[in-house]
Amino acid sequence: MGERSLASPAVLTEKELLRMIRRRVPPERVPRRVTIKETADFFRVDYDDVVVLDDVPYFVRNNEREGRFGLEDEQKFWVKRAINLLTGKVVILKWVFRERFNARIGGLVFECARSPRKEARILELVRGRPDFMQGETVLDSAGNPLRVLDYIRGKTLSEITVGIGSSHEEFFFSFYASLLEEFIGALEAIKFLHESGEKHGDIRRDHLIKDHSTGRYRWIDFDYTYSHGESRFGYDLFGLGNVLLFITGRGDVTTNRLLKENPDALERIAKDDLNIVFHNRVTNLQKIYPYIPDALNRVLMHFSLGAGVYYEHTRELIEDLGEARERLDDRVFV
Amino acid sequence: MAARKTEQPKDRHVLIAVDQTENSKRAVLYVADFLGGNPGFRATLLSVVPKPEEDLFENEEERSAWAKEKVTAANALLNRYREVLIHSGFPEDKVQIRSCVGEDKSLSEIILEYQCEMSCCTVVVGRHHKSKAEEFLFGSTSSQLVHRAENCAVWVVE
Repeated sequence: MGERSLASPAVLTEKELLRMIRRRVPPERVPRRVTIKETADFFRVDYDDVVVLDDVPYFVRNNEREGRFGLEDEQKFWVKRAINLLTGKVVILKWVFRERFNARIGGLVFECARSPRKEARILELVRGRPDFMQGETVLDSAGNPLRVLDYIRGKTLSEITVGIGSSHEEFFFSFYASLLEEFIGALEAIKFLHESGEKHGDIRRDHLIKDHSTGRYRWIDFDYTYSHGESRFGYDLFGLGNVLLFITGRGDVTTNRLLKENPDALERIAKDDLNIVFHNRVTNLQKIYPYIPDALNRVLMHFSLGAGVYYEHTRELIEDLGEARERLDDRVFV
Repeated sequence: MAARKTEQPKDRHVLIAVDQTENSKRAVLYVADFLGGNPGFRATLLSVVPKPEEDLFENEEERSAWAKEKVTAANALLNRYREVLIHSGFPEDKVQIRSCVGEDKSLSEIILEYQCEMSCCTVVVGRHHKSKAEEFLFGSTSSQLVHRAENCAVWVVE
């Protein structure tokens, strides 16, 4: 007997749902019972539940996790991985809500917001671009908007950075140039956002994922915004600087880490060599790794306490990094 | 013999950009001390309320209410500072006030547009004592004014 039409998944029986689930997950992952949950409250939607959005049944898996404000692996209850039971495609279901709060970094307090409106606008703006997360908004049965986002299979930039090379020197001479090249590509994506008048709002190294299927980096999570002052994109540029420092140092080079691993190098570090906001991170990486060329180190130093001028536009950072990238070739191959 | 018509020299127009901070108050007091009672000067006190970004507000109503409240506060402040300048010796008809809600431009750009529109020879602002981090993340209006101003002087009052 053929399978019943899936035109009305809302009336699917438990038996039918279980049959669909068996096609999508290994036998040991098939639950004994399954229920269709309302989506009004994301806290009530759990692992192994089914939610129906726009007539599509989704089998809910884990909540996504993220390290924030020093708390690693904090669960995001409003962001759940799920399997589209019609296609088998893994997606991210994201409940949208607005919140306004004061963010604190390095002793500075500023106004931030999570804005569903901004996220929807940017999803529309970047539709079809391979360098951004893709997704769409659907309404649940009560008319509440939820996002169905592509699940990007791949590693974050931070995972990739710390996973290559057996030492910094090997990493730098064998892999850094291509990593920087890819990062410059990711900067072009942010430049596109900025030139369209949009901020990313939450630029972090784990918000950049190398898509396994395309080999390209894609930016995710752009629903945050911040109250800017004179410099509209300053906070985004600060985030880009932190990512650049992370990939160049093959991880965060902190004063604490130096104290344990390389106290002689710590002796050489002056106040001006530290990160302009996070005073426990070293920005003058050339003092730790002397083979870092001047042109590249000059770019890094724009994010230091000793900086006299700052980047205001992504274009400026891209230009300087492009030059530094060329010098890197000279150095490697001469 | 017909009396020779003498041309009145044009007043020098000073634009003082203020906000709710003490730094702005110092800028106004400086102009009052420095120029008050001297003939040949006029002043415009300007307050630009930064554009309320739509993403920070629930809806347009909330955003408009926020902007309205800020403009009301700005006008009250401008009127107080106008009195300060008048007491220092500026003639009443030579002290104007202007307030506006910013658009998709930085504060320095808006201030310089007013400077250009009103042909002001000097822009005066108070210096905000920002940390390097703050200046890096959010920029500095006085630094931008110093870098961008053309055909006018910029006084940054400490």
